[in-house]
Amino acid sequence: MIEHLLDEHAQKSAISHISPRTKLLLGLGTLVITLIAGSILLPLIAAVSLSLVILCIARIPPGVYLRLLLIPAAFTLMSLLVILLLGGGGETLWEFSPSSALTLTITRESLSQAALIFSRVAGGVTSLLFISLTTPFTDIIRVLNQCRVPREITDLMAILYRNIFILLDQATQIHAAQVMRLGYSHPREATESFGMLCGSLFISSWNAGDDLLRAMDCRCYDGEFAQLTPSEPVRARSLLPVILYLSLLAGLALISATDMIPGAI
Amino acid sequence: MMEPVLQADQVSFRYGGGETALRDVSFCVPRKAKIALVGANGAGKSTLLLMLNGMLRPETGEIRYHGKPLEYSRSSLREIRRRVGFVFQDADRQIIAPTVWQDVAFGPVNLGYRDEKLSSLVTTALHQVGLEGFERRPPHLLSGGEKKRVAIAGILAMDPEVLILDEPTSTLDPAGSEDIMDLLEELHHQGRTIIISTHDVELAHSWADTVILMEKGRIIASGSPGDAFSDRELVRRARLRTPVIVELYTELIRRGIRECPQMPRSVLDIIRIIECDRHGGMQITTHGCGTITVLDIARADQDEVLQLIEEQQVRTIGAMGSRAKICLRQWGIIPDYTYAVIDKCILHAMNGRSSLILTSGGMVLRVAERVREFNRENDRSIRVITGNRSDTGGISHSPREEETGEAG
Repeated sequence: MIEHLLDEHAQKSAISHISPRTKLLLGLGTLVITLIAGSILLPLIAAVSLSLVILCIARIPPGVYLRLLLIPAAFTLMSLLVILLLGGGGETLWEFSPSSALTLTITRESLSQAALIFSRVAGGVTSLLFISLTTPFTDIIRVLNQCRVPREITDLMAILYRNIFILLDQATQIHAAQVMRLGYSHPREATESFGMLCGSLFISSWNAGDDLLRAMDCRCYDGEFAQLTPSEPVRARSLLPVILYLSLLAGLALISATDMIPGAI
Repeated sequence: MMEPVLQADQVSFRYGGGETALRDVSFCVPRKAKIALVGANGAGKSTLLLMLNGMLRPETGEIRYHGKPLEYSRSSLREIRRRVGFVFQDADRQIIAPTVWQDVAFGPVNLGYRDEKLSSLVTTALHQVGLEGFERRPPHLLSGGEKKRVAIAGILAMDPEVLILDEPTSTLDPAGSEDIMDLLEELHHQGRTIIISTHDVELAHSWADTVILMEKGRIIASGSPGDAFSDRELVRRARLRTPVIVELYTELIRRGIRECPQMPRSVLDIIRIIECDRHGGMQITTHGCGTITVLDIARADQDEVLQLIEEQQVRTIGAMGSRAKICLRQWGIIPDYTYAVIDKCILHAMNGRSSLILTSGGMVLRVAERVREFNRENDRSIRVITGNRSDTGGISHSPREEETGEAG
């Protein structure tokens, strides 16, 4: 399953020893720069370079990475198509009218808008994938703790994260049991089965909540939740390249902003 | 008589005012006991166990801990739960935190431990169950047996006197179950009282020193494993099955073999009964007894072990305790036995073959004791050799020293 996949690769990634703060800085920094940059080229550069980091330095198997990229690719393409054909203004480049009521046109403006959005999505998705493929969720919680996010929120995040997998397991099992008894063979049955799946998941998570309380009680719960020991220190060896890379990106963004009109959104 | 650690006195309980789950149950748990509660599903085993650490409150009757009735105030409940650790049947239900380290630290943190003391408690607990290096792992990426170990470590980190495990082996494969039972044996050897519930009669019969049979919320028999399981009627009523060893022994007696003062509990015991009947004593092969070499793994390195195996041409290797198993795995040695190791090695010795037992700490003495006992009872002289180069048999190392020795 994809959720298992992400976290498992994050645990095993070749840069798991690097401080999560450095990795978050790289991921989030790139994300912010790609989103505010007006140029089309810059996010693409970021996407390619971060992909190289993911594949060559973190050593995530290329097949896994490509499959993950395909998920956002599907709906990005759909929305790009809409923007390309219906967005507009400027010189018309291509026209097609399947009926008298509908005319699809691609204009210069819509083309550049679509290209900009595509490159931003590429940059953004890569930065987010970089974070989720290299930084285990528990490390992110730890960084949040260090950033003084209230304990109540991070504790809750930890419990939620732990229980997501139990719930997913249950959902998979119930779903399998339904499929085996042909629960999804017709739309009508599928709707009914899905309702049942949700119902039993609700009941079982309710019970799981009770069990959780009991388990915590059994172990002398007194409002405290253990925090992982301090994470790996931020090291100059990994921090410097990250800062260098981000300044380079930011510099490029500044240069491109001066000789280009910022994005049309 | 020594004062029991835990005692249930005329305890009755109903869930939500409905069906009676326990009726007038009384029993006591002596210090350092190994007790197995055995019964069918719904016989009330879990209910009874949950009363022992105050998770459930009896409707009538009382539970006593060291002679004092349990109090159900918040602070006394915390104390009893620290003293009487409870391991749930479903490890997924017990593991709360998103990493192994955090989960094991959960109890100690709530008991107020911090910083160095906290990490030393967690490290020791993980060391005891053999899960070093798992600190950062999230529980959903662990196997069933590993999850069980995390659950046990989480309880051990609070250093309980009594350890209660509800169906500890029900979700594990046979090898995984043996590993957990071996771990329990190790923990018992460290002086903890252990209570488990199970419906695995073989396991209860070979492991426990007291077996309690339950049926429909009542205790119907309680005593040594041999006694509890030899009454067919009771076993039938409890919806159980007679352990193979007991059945074999009953049939042997019917075939005219002399009765033995003690009920047999292992293959070794059965062999002894047959041999005593046939030859008046345990037979040895023509080339005499084999020897048993014991090696304290905490004080030996890989070369020493490999050299010993080579030198003595040992064909049979047994591993006792999680420490030894981890080392062997790391060194690429596959042990032949990982459970009931001493008995199996004694049998090997009787067949004229020598074997090597790898274990650690106080378990080394245990091997020597068990073999000496066997020698005395059967007038045999199986030799136990301490394999460590550095000493002549005296075990003086404390577990802490072993840890530092290992880190170096």
